[in-house]
Amino acid sequence: MVQSSLSIKFKILKLVPLFLLLFISLNGNSIVTFTFFSVNIHYILIYYWTLRRPDSLGYGFIFLSGIISDVVFGLPLGINALSLLFIAAVAAYVRTVTVRITLLNDWISFIPALIFANLIYFTSLHLSSYPIEYLHLLKNSISTFILYPILWAVFSLILNLTKT
Amino acid sequence: MQTSREDVGIAFRSALLAKGAQQRFSLLVLVIISIILIFIESIEARPLNILRSIIKDTVYRSSLIVSSPSKAFKSFTNFTGGYLNLHDNYKKLKEENIKLKNNKLRSDFLELENSQLRKLIDEQVVSSSNLVSARVMIDKQSPYINSFILNIGSNKSVKNGMAVLDGNFFIGRIVDVNFFSSRVLLISDLNSKIPILSEPSGVHAILSGHGIKKPTLEYLPENHTIKDGDKIYTSGKEGIFSTGIPIGKVKIEQKIIKVELFSKLDQITFVNIDIEKKERKK
Repeated sequence: MVQSSLSIKFKILKLVPLFLLLFISLNGNSIVTFTFFSVNIHYILIYYWTLRRPDSLGYGFIFLSGIISDVVFGLPLGINALSLLFIAAVAAYVRTVTVRITLLNDWISFIPALIFANLIYFTSLHLSSYPIEYLHLLKNSISTFILYPILWAVFSLILNLTKT
Repeated sequence: MQTSREDVGIAFRSALLAKGAQQRFSLLVLVIISIILIFIESIEARPLNILRSIIKDTVYRSSLIVSSPSKAFKSFTNFTGGYLNLHDNYKKLKEENIKLKNNKLRSDFLELENSQLRKLIDEQVVSSSNLVSARVMIDKQSPYINSFILNIGSNKSVKNGMAVLDGNFFIGRIVDVNFFSSRVLLISDLNSKIPILSEPSGVHAILSGHGIKKPTLEYLPENHTIKDGDKIYTSGKEGIFSTGIPIGKVKIEQKIIKVELFSKLDQITFVNIDIEKKERKK
């Protein structure tokens, strides 16, 4: 009995990243804006879980989440999906080439992921004739990078709970 | 060196092409689908539009359900805040009421005179019969796009380009219509350019959005006489919106002519859509 309730608990905990992914895209919270800065939690969530536990977030769900974000924010379909898939691609590449994963390794390798994803995002919006504020995009990227360790710690806690 | 290059190639192929134990799709396939989707977005065809409408309506309704707890929490905090400030608000409203009563007689006369003059120049006045009310379904603001989702669409004859009002104040225009929902592009958005008329100076200009900041006036004549506090109205020059819908008042900051909107864009629950002006153009 205890065994089965524990197994249900672990199964629920394993679904947390997927639940968060779909929740933030449907709720329109992928970019959380504060007074002076904004953080793209969508990028951090996908990067972390694709790197640490790829079976928690299927690429199909990442694509679906991007499409939902595009619809919610009124962007042409495919723009967010493409940039999120690039984040996942960089994470998958880093996972393949890295033996020992630490916060520092994760954090540094998050830089190319951010650059690629924002480049794709900016280029697609530009080609679709959507003007954007470059300064905002830059500030968002910097603050997303700076706040990565905080969310890394939170996600690591969830990950450890599913392991124990 | 050769081996190192091969390693990178293998890792790259593995990351992009391998599906893994739990993955149903490879990244490369999904990337290609996304690129195709972006290109398809620029194609206007009836079956594609129907498909887009169905997808958008489904996502908006799902989003409405998912965001209902956060909306409920927000309205609860607003409700509580309102109660806490009840006494101060009451005093302010009482003072305002006295002022408004004094102005009412004069404004009734001006309104009558105005409508008579408009009839003379064959201009339709925005009346409540021209307006269709709608509820804001989703108001999540992206840093790049400032817009709302409304709960009515082509089912209530809403069309692209129609003016959207908060009470009597202009706040934006319809840019995307689905069967049961539509998107309003707010005047604060980077894409928003609205022809306006200032009062009392009578200067024509374009009100241009800048994301989260206040919109500014552009394309002003060289020797204009616009000053702080001037009122801004739609000029109706583009032939889509009615003339004289109030927008805001001028606020000059560091020599930049900004417009302080009459509406608080983050506090809107219900809006009116000016249906008839657009219909009349057909």
